Amino acid sequence: MKNYMKGLMVGGAMLLTACGGGTEQKEEKTVVDIFQFKVEIAEQFDELSQIYMETHPNIEINIETVGGGDDYGASLRAKMASGNEPVIFNVGGPQDVYDWQDKLVDLSDVELAGQAFDGALSGATLDGKAYGLPFTQEGYGFIYNKELLKKAGLDAKTITSYESLEAAVKMLDSKKDELGLEAVFATAGKETWVTGLHYSNVGLSQEFGSVFEAYNAKAVEFTYSDGMKQLFDLQIDYGRKPINATDYSTQVERLFSMGKVAMTQQGNWAFGSIKGIDEELAQNIGFLPMPIVGAKENVLPVGIPMYWTVNKDSSDAQIKAAKEFLNWVYTSETGKDYVINKFNFIPPYEGFEGDNLQPKDPLAKDIMAFSKAGNTIPWVFMGYPTGWGMETLGVEFQKYIDGQITWDEVLETAKSSWTQSRKEK
Amino acid sequence: MMDMNYNKKTFCLFAGPVIVAFLMVVVIPLLIGVYYSFTEWNGRMDQVPNFIGFSNYIAIMKDEGFRNAFLFTAKFTVVSVIAINTIGFSLALLVTKKLKISNFMRTIFFMPNLIGGLILGFIWQFIFMGVFQTIGEITGWTFFQGWLADANTGFWGLVIIMVWQMSGYLMIIYIAALQNIPKSLLEAADIDGANGWTKTRHIIFPMVAPAFTISMFLTLANSFKLFDQNLSLTNGGPGGATEMLALNIYKTAYTFTNYGAAQAKAVVFFLLVASITMVQVYVNKKKEVEM
Repeated sequence: MKNYMKGLMVGGAMLLTACGGGTEQKEEKTVVDIFQFKVEIAEQFDELSQIYMETHPNIEINIETVGGGDDYGASLRAKMASGNEPVIFNVGGPQDVYDWQDKLVDLSDVELAGQAFDGALSGATLDGKAYGLPFTQEGYGFIYNKELLKKAGLDAKTITSYESLEAAVKMLDSKKDELGLEAVFATAGKETWVTGLHYSNVGLSQEFGSVFEAYNAKAVEFTYSDGMKQLFDLQIDYGRKPINATDYSTQVERLFSMGKVAMTQQGNWAFGSIKGIDEELAQNIGFLPMPIVGAKENVLPVGIPMYWTVNKDSSDAQIKAAKEFLNWVYTSETGKDYVINKFNFIPPYEGFEGDNLQPKDPLAKDIMAFSKAGNTIPWVFMGYPTGWGMETLGVEFQKYIDGQITWDEVLETAKSSWTQSRKEK
Repeated sequence: MMDMNYNKKTFCLFAGPVIVAFLMVVVIPLLIGVYYSFTEWNGRMDQVPNFIGFSNYIAIMKDEGFRNAFLFTAKFTVVSVIAINTIGFSLALLVTKKLKISNFMRTIFFMPNLIGGLILGFIWQFIFMGVFQTIGEITGWTFFQGWLADANTGFWGLVIIMVWQMSGYLMIIYIAALQNIPKSLLEAADIDGANGWTKTRHIIFPMVAPAFTISMFLTLANSFKLFDQNLSLTNGGPGGATEMLALNIYKTAYTFTNYGAAQAKAVVFFLLVASITMVQVYVNKKKEVEM
């Protein structure tokens, strides 16, 4: 008991000194609070900011991470409403930029903005001003198990169209027992972001052409409806049942990483999860295209998940420090090394030409290959009406998977909901 | 006169802080909330909400999602109120028997109540989707497969975790009520030759009626307001089939950033819960007997 009390007192004293010390130092420092969404890099990003603070003693950087897509938006609103506004935060695309417009600093004059690839800034540009700097590029498609395809006698290089994909899927299905497969696909029907955002994007991206077209569109037509239905049905018919109960971790960890399915629709961010389960398998995977009949077939959707932005209501010193820090992350030697080798990013910027600055995981390499060949389509789902992709289309897809409604009914609801939302805007 | 002043001072001293706190955290936010329900607002604090009268309330009438959520919640509430009270009362009867392990069992039955709703939902999600699935695969029993994959199993999944969590808590209330029954009444009944059922029917039930009132109220209100478990277990899926009222309101606000409409739904929700529970308490109260 005595020891316990002693411990408590020492602990309390330490706490007091820690707090006291903090406030004394803060007076001369410029504090930059960062509120960011990428959970995968939280730890590494913190490390990098420590390094920055060592060389820039008058800057203090505090990073807070809240991840998981739509949660971030709500948390950011709460954070802003609390009066404790961050200096650096993230926006996802035109809708966000529009919503937060009067809080955003024009970042066009930052050196980094000039190094961004063509079009990389467009999702965060309004009236010719770049309000956001892209995080990274990400891509998704059908991640496949190279070993299994080889065993089945399939050459992945020949799968470049819907026809060849369907043939391959049927072939794998016929050899299920031999290959030890439960099904050909793991289809995550439970995750409405996988279906309602990512899947739908494959068709809608080719319909709209860019995230801005989607954002400005008064209506959605589903021009490639037939091709979209075909590819969706393929994933359902040859997907491991029950599809509506399959979530991300079942899909990637329990099924794909354990070799129980041959392919699954996911993005390069899944590399970490797969590597965590089976390191050998992780080196032996790649992307197959997501072919929509009637549209460009041999394509991967590649896009910018989020942008860095700076809060206009911060002090001038904070804004200056924030710009310098973001610039440093993507242009200094240390920063570049972290961006590539620790964050596993595919930077949408020039200046990453060196051999040691090339992405190392096979999924990222495949994305680069598709990009070089010009076989990518943009992400347009950040231009969908708020909540439409996940909560309207994704939910309707679940009903379709369950057999409650037809494909046409899915589209009907989706179309009218889109038009309705745009009318309110 | 002196007395009155003295009373006023004491009143202010003791009740004042509570009243201020109550006004600040309950009454004023409620009124502001009612105001927001007449506006169109996207949740930004620095923007002034746009007053649009009763439009939000008219929109609710036409909102199919809200109607489905209401029907689902009502169905869920009926089933879980009956199940939780039956099981809670049975457990109480069981652990008030003079068994050696009674105390141990009380602890065990009460424990689920200590786990927070979100965590509980994720634990049971793992059980339904992982453990059940594996059992199904090994034994080939299709009963265990595909839990939470359709509206039906989603519904029972929610009922199961609700019952699992709350019946232990009600057990405690019923135990207290059971132990309050005067021994003399039961002994007198024994002497008169009453059997177990007669005693339960004519002595135990009427004597624990006040506990029924409070337990029904608790389960009714809690089932109607269920949110955490709904969010973490099914998130309203698949196809919005298991979306309950609170989750529907949450999504209207945070996913569709339609704060005014969400607030209007919340006002309707508040009136619903308040009137249903008031009727229930009134009906139950009439059945209580005075000693």
